[in-house]
Amino acid sequence: MSWFIGIDIGSAYSKGVIARDFELIASHIIRSGANYRTSAEVIRTELIRKVDLTQDDIANTVATGAGADNVYFASQKASDIVCTARGINNAFPQARTVIDVASQSTRVIRLSGEGKVANFTVSEKCAGGSGRFIEVIANVLRIDLSDFGPLAARSRSPITFGTGCAVFGESEAITRVSEGVPKEDIAAGVNKALARKISSLVKKVKLEDPCAICGGGALNTSLVKTVQDELNTHLLVPPHPQIITALGAAIIATTSATSESSKKANL
Amino acid sequence: MYFAGVDIGSTMTKVVLLDKAGNSLSFIKGPTGPEHRQLANQVMQQALEQASLQIDDISYIVATGYGRLNVPFADRQITELSCHARGVSILFPNTRTAIDIGGQDAKCMRIDNGRLVNFVMNDKCAAGTGRFLEVTAAALDIKLEDMGDTSLKATKKIQISNLCTIFAQQEVVALISRGEKLENIVAGLHDALASRVAALARRLGIEPDLVLTGGVAKNTGMVKAMKESLGCELFVPEEPLLTGALGAAILAKETYLKAVAQGEALPTKSRRLEKATFFS
Repeated sequence: MSWFIGIDIGSAYSKGVIARDFELIASHIIRSGANYRTSAEVIRTELIRKVDLTQDDIANTVATGAGADNVYFASQKASDIVCTARGINNAFPQARTVIDVASQSTRVIRLSGEGKVANFTVSEKCAGGSGRFIEVIANVLRIDLSDFGPLAARSRSPITFGTGCAVFGESEAITRVSEGVPKEDIAAGVNKALARKISSLVKKVKLEDPCAICGGGALNTSLVKTVQDELNTHLLVPPHPQIITALGAAIIATTSATSESSKKANL
Repeated sequence: MYFAGVDIGSTMTKVVLLDKAGNSLSFIKGPTGPEHRQLANQVMQQALEQASLQIDDISYIVATGYGRLNVPFADRQITELSCHARGVSILFPNTRTAIDIGGQDAKCMRIDNGRLVNFVMNDKCAAGTGRFLEVTAAALDIKLEDMGDTSLKATKKIQISNLCTIFAQQEVVALISRGEKLENIVAGLHDALASRVAALARRLGIEPDLVLTGGVAKNTGMVKAMKESLGCELFVPEEPLLTGALGAAILAKETYLKAVAQGEALPTKSRRLEKATFFS
């Protein structure tokens, strides 16, 4: 009974983590699809299967993300900001700022010690400021998201987008492709445009080093490098950047279960 | 003595031909392709054929719109703001505010005695332009031109919570799968766009008479939503796409007649409707 699950249902992907003694044991990522409830169930089943457990071994489950309400078997919901903060604190205890580049939003969180949230800002109104911009352009370039970073890294002269809007950016990318501009220059141009938006978001909460980056956007190595250049700092990248928020949820599942049982003990 | 106005917009190219008295002889709309110059030739050719004129019969040609620099046979370029203001004022002489919602931008103009005095525009975010409807119509699998009539059947308006066109696209698909009625969703989309454009217009101050132009003005549902958002009556020209080209043709006529009256010789371009060999 000392296993804890954190589930993060995002708009694009659903992520789950199973942890023991505040350590990441296994994780699972799937497309969120149209039915978040099913996604949550699939993740739980897969996590339990990966570690060879039964449902009874799970002491507590915490849900977070846009679809947290659909994780009906969770004991509580936690804010994604708090979860990301706890998750990054687990991966990099020294981090004082974290940038989370997700499909539908970009969030920058300033941390005090022990993973507590000191300040944060969210950009969620505009696809041009989130990972979605990259998905849209990857679709125009007909390349896999996983190839986006390596492709952009080969660019010698990134294009400059005339707009920060992902819809207008899509038309612009189509025009550039028809003009024969190399794909890598277009990909690198999107990274540059997004990095600039991320950097202005970071400035709102004031950067404090060390700074970490997570979320699906952190898998785009060229974006990470471009953000580094924009911010003029080194970024810590966790080995599994997409599951940091789910990890945070699993950490919260652990601490709240522990405090519950100590409360009971005091009675 | 004949005059032409060519308006190269982001999605449509428009040509209006006028005679000396300012009567419209023909007007043609065609899609704008990636090569503006080439299409400007074709659209101009069609307009000439319709009016039974030759290109050499045209005394002066003004080009406007975002592709105005790509019309090799135009004698002069004038911004679309000035041309729209002029065109709208010819059709509705009491116009004080004109709102043009195109496929790639939205412009709000304050007009005094037929002249542009101030403007605000949005070309930064697709959510405040006709593109918002284009993208969401595609997601809902309905034709853009059917949106207006569809929305008029709505029994309620579904509020679209996402501002961004891309996120709204996802939202409408989710609304359909949740079982919401198409017409109610479309009415909500019109409302969302109308309130955004109305907010832009309010930065300028709204003075009657108010005229709505651009491709979006052909959408009856949007006209209704704009009236509700602005809280006032508005006029829509019969051909809301053509006010820019009309204004350009009027300005071509005025420029030419003024020069003639002053005894000046206006420099004009080659009247050959050739394909451009160089595209920049």
